[in-house]
Amino acid sequence: MAKKKNKQIIRPWCWYCEREFEDEKVLMQHQKAKHFKCNMCPRRLNTAGGLAVHIQQVHKLEPENLPRIENALPGRDGYEVEIFGMVGIPAPDIADYKRRKEIELGLSAGSISQPPQKRPKIENRALTEEELKAQLEAHKALMGVSTGSDNPAAAESSTGAVYGAPPQSYSAPPAPIPGVPPMGMMPPPGMPPPGFFPGGPPPPGAFPGQPPPFPPFMPGFPPGPPPPGFPLPPGFPPGGPPPFPPAPGGPPGATRLPFPPPPQFVPAAGASPLPPFPPTPAQPQLAATPPPSAQQPSLAPGAPSSQTQTPEVQAPPTQLVLPNTALAQTNPPFKKSTVLKYDDPNFSPEEHRAIHPRYFCPKQGGAAEESRGRKRKKAEDFL
Amino acid sequence: MSFFGAQNTATASTNTAATDKDVEMSDPPTDSISSIAFSSQADYLAVGSWDNSVRIYEVMAGGQSQGKAMYQHQGPVLSVCWNKEGNKIFSGGADNAGRMFDVTTGQSSQVAAHDAPVKVVRWIDAPGAGILATGSWDKTIKYWDLRASQPVATVTLPERCYTFDVQYPLMVVGTAERHIQIFNLTNPNTAYKTIISPLKWQTRVVSCFTAATNSGYVEDKDSANNFSFKCHRRDNVPNSKDQALVYAVNDISFHPVHGTFSTCGSDGTIHFWDKDARTRLKTFEPAPGPITTTAFNRNGSIFAYAVSYDWSKGHSGMTPGHPNKLMLHACKEEEVRKRPRK
Repeated sequence: MAKKKNKQIIRPWCWYCEREFEDEKVLMQHQKAKHFKCNMCPRRLNTAGGLAVHIQQVHKLEPENLPRIENALPGRDGYEVEIFGMVGIPAPDIADYKRRKEIELGLSAGSISQPPQKRPKIENRALTEEELKAQLEAHKALMGVSTGSDNPAAAESSTGAVYGAPPQSYSAPPAPIPGVPPMGMMPPPGMPPPGFFPGGPPPPGAFPGQPPPFPPFMPGFPPGPPPPGFPLPPGFPPGGPPPFPPAPGGPPGATRLPFPPPPQFVPAAGASPLPPFPPTPAQPQLAATPPPSAQQPSLAPGAPSSQTQTPEVQAPPTQLVLPNTALAQTNPPFKKSTVLKYDDPNFSPEEHRAIHPRYFCPKQGGAAEESRGRKRKKAEDFL
Repeated sequence: MSFFGAQNTATASTNTAATDKDVEMSDPPTDSISSIAFSSQADYLAVGSWDNSVRIYEVMAGGQSQGKAMYQHQGPVLSVCWNKEGNKIFSGGADNAGRMFDVTTGQSSQVAAHDAPVKVVRWIDAPGAGILATGSWDKTIKYWDLRASQPVATVTLPERCYTFDVQYPLMVVGTAERHIQIFNLTNPNTAYKTIISPLKWQTRVVSCFTAATNSGYVEDKDSANNFSFKCHRRDNVPNSKDQALVYAVNDISFHPVHGTFSTCGSDGTIHFWDKDARTRLKTFEPAPGPITTTAFNRNGSIFAYAVSYDWSKGHSGMTPGHPNKLMLHACKEEEVRKRPRK
């Protein structure tokens, strides 16, 4: 903790009298002798609480008549704070002491008293979209790629390749590396979830415990141990028709509640009123291709290529805008030191998530299947 | 719409290792789980996910689960619920649409539309005819009679709807900027009462006590009108007891029989509480990621929860290996039964 790191600067000190000591052992001896000594018998206790109990039980004093702690500074002679060496000192007193120590030693503010336990928190905090973008720009500049590049894919893939970093570091996923789907990347919106993709006929019975043989079917699977229960369902119709629902107006007795017997969920052969998913061939590449809308935020503003590329797809907003900025909320001040793990008072995490390129869903008036098809075509054009 | 996970052979996770261990469900969604709901008629679990899909699982005795059906939204799914009869599932998504899935026909269709993502859908079990209510970030709640394409009524809220819950005839809505509106659903168009949340921070979730006869009983984030409590906090410095890290409460679920409830948080923990005795009944082992949503089944014997990323740390918290799983917990009586008041 704090003290260990700064031992050479801040030596152990006694909270009661603010004396410094060589090490905590000596400090504890001092506290026993000077502050936790019973004045009615030779007994020395380890803590103020111990002393209080001793006086009450051995000397039969009422709690309200306890003598104040001896040799203590004014205001620090109570039993409320449980001190043991350096343990238990209230944080404000530590900060206060450090500040005074700095002034005394002529050091600049913060040189001792940066509380190290707070430090990583600042660094680990979530980067905002702007910061991510700024970092990306800086990195591009470093790599000699001009920011106004009209070949965003090249820029993207170069950064991705150099970093080898998961795509989450950027506001847009890097371009595909054929055959090697980026780790943890999920299919773009509108794509079927990989685990359930009809795909080709997987050899039945070969699944349990060996997911890796099917990389093309599961581009989105995270690395690491395969999730249990992962195997494609053996009941999956091998090579059969894509698993579509039976046509409307299902079997008689369908009105019975609550759930019809499973057979209803077994795909009726060939009965596919509307294919929800396009056929598979280009799937691995597609899944690894950033959806058109996902590219936009990473481009330099005003890059015309992106605008012309996806005129019909609404660009995700890069920032949430308050409908009425006058009503912006602020988190109230804290009575004591408190860290809100989610500290945006104006927007919920879901709202932030929903405008992220990966999840953003542009407004569309009906014709959804069609727009998905169009998107797909765009993606193929892009390839 | 598609089928998935037809059979779940007894793989490592589901062989019901020890019954007191929580069971992980097979074939979880491929992206974070936003909402789960049990049917009121059978142990069917509807699961909405950020991967645009709603999946329906059957949960069997012993904790095995089996995928039954699945359908798609055009955007991430933010909320799911069932109707009273348990034959229809409703879901709302970031595609601004509310969809209905009819489990008897296996068809899904759009039944509601908003100008912004639909954050919450709830079935209102009104006498006579059930009504679907949808709350959206477009600052409205709309009531839908499923036979009409236009809403029966639209209520304008002071701010974006973040959460609401219904316990007929009580409906409580929590919005951005900490407004809480209480509706008497016999007069669903105007708020019965509007208050500013008694809590200091953003309203995450409101939930009505199951036995609410009095519309004053309102609970939200981590309090009620008549009491509030702190939870999902962790010490900044270990053992300092300062409880300085405050995590968001992601969901509240009430036990259908005992009226005790659970809270879950971004800190990955779940607690069961008894509101009358003001005690904590159970604390779960912290999960490796935030708990986004929880649900009790119809008789309270199964408690399902989802471990997945809730965006509480923004985009950069979305790491590739982030856990994303559905867990089932078999509730023991003593965990959920009310304690006698001291």
